[in-house]
Amino acid sequence: MIVTPKIFARLVAIVILAVLLQLSFFSRVEFLHTSADVLPAVVVSLGLLGGSLTGAVAGFSVGFLVDCLLVAPLGGSSLVLLGAGYLAGLFRERFDIHSALVPPLVCMGLTLFAELGFAAVQVMLGVDAPVSVLIVRDMLLKSIYAFFLAWPIYFGLRRVLRPALVEESRVARRRQPTVLGRT
Amino acid sequence: MYRKQVRRRRAVLTLLVIGSFLLLTITYGHSSGGVQRGVSTIFSPLQTVADRALKPARDLVDWFDKTFDARGENSRLKAELVTVRRQAVAGQEALQENAQLRKLVELDRGPALAESAYKPVTGRVIARSPTVWNSTVTVDVGSGDGVKVDDPVVSGDGLVGLVASTEGGSAQVTLITDHASAVSAKVVPPGVQGVIKPDVGDPEDLILDFINSSKAVHGGQAVVTSGWRAQGLASLFPPGLPIGEVTSASIVEQEASQQVHLRPYADMANLDLVQVLTGGSRR
Repeated sequence: MIVTPKIFARLVAIVILAVLLQLSFFSRVEFLHTSADVLPAVVVSLGLLGGSLTGAVAGFSVGFLVDCLLVAPLGGSSLVLLGAGYLAGLFRERFDIHSALVPPLVCMGLTLFAELGFAAVQVMLGVDAPVSVLIVRDMLLKSIYAFFLAWPIYFGLRRVLRPALVEESRVARRRQPTVLGRT
Repeated sequence: MYRKQVRRRRAVLTLLVIGSFLLLTITYGHSSGGVQRGVSTIFSPLQTVADRALKPARDLVDWFDKTFDARGENSRLKAELVTVRRQAVAGQEALQENAQLRKLVELDRGPALAESAYKPVTGRVIARSPTVWNSTVTVDVGSGDGVKVDDPVVSGDGLVGLVASTEGGSAQVTLITDHASAVSAKVVPPGVQGVIKPDVGDPEDLILDFINSSKAVHGGQAVVTSGWRAQGLASLFPPGLPIGEVTSASIVEQEASQQVHLRPYADMANLDLVQVLTGGSRR
């Protein structure tokens, strides 16, 4: 991703909008007794579009903003989401995304990773009450919701960030094939 | 060139990870004060606007969710659903808000608060935490409205939580379903006292860990705040605030682990209007 001042402003707007939408809308509506968590999906999509560095920085920023607004211990959400963003970016750098199914599947997997991460951070900080097994259902449903929400999120973000994206397929098409043995 | 890029990337990642751990170490256990308060103050008006703008969309999703739930229920609930649909057409939103406000007014006049020095301040929930680990909500009333840390928060149905921090125009409320919450309570009529703790991950279940008592507790009995006072110390909650209803109270569980399960009266998933009880007698 080529980050110009305009693109940077768009990224900041995406982060703020995502956090506001999550806290004011997605966290407050439940379907099957579980609310969706779009923040991992947004961070993963940014990682898939911009690479590991963009993913990690976006994850850290989103986590920091959420913790600030909820007056939670700072750093917990940042740590988990920067991991998710970095892994998504790493995936993009190692593999080509040929199918439209790949981003939602990666979002689903990494949302589950993030939910497990939140649980691990909470256990690390100490849990003062018994934990219900329903938390497993909550994690699984959140990742399933992420699969469906990833479609509009990923393709929407790709549209917004299009001027900054390096399209590998077009570059590959233009490049002359390398033929071994030719002088 | 590529190696340089990889090195830079790793350096940034290491920096961010160290930064996260540093923030956790510094801010865990005590308030991180300035930064969080500053960010909250800046974003509070934005959250209020977002909350108002997204309310119709939330109501729509709620309607679908409730409809989905109701499909599996008996004919009585189906009949109720038809009524609810009619109400939705006739402006359900306004009716619900009206009902909530009426309940709050009734709670103001109720025996729990009538005798106490608490002054209820009505607020609206504008944000909610995305994970079940931290059950917190943000309300649009803050220190400017007289709200202080540790003020109890109620809805029309019963106890909701406690104010954890305040800013000028907003406050964070730790719900009774948060893992850090503990409320001294008693079962009525037997008078068995104990401490209510959440069952993390299940917002419809609370656990009353009670002091050893010979009186048995039965399903359907109400649980209210006990509001104790001893040796200069006092509970943060006024006595008699409704909390929930005992759902399961097996004799085996009562004898073995001294606990019973209850369902909170307040619908934690759909909190909208709440009251912060300011200026309690403890201060």
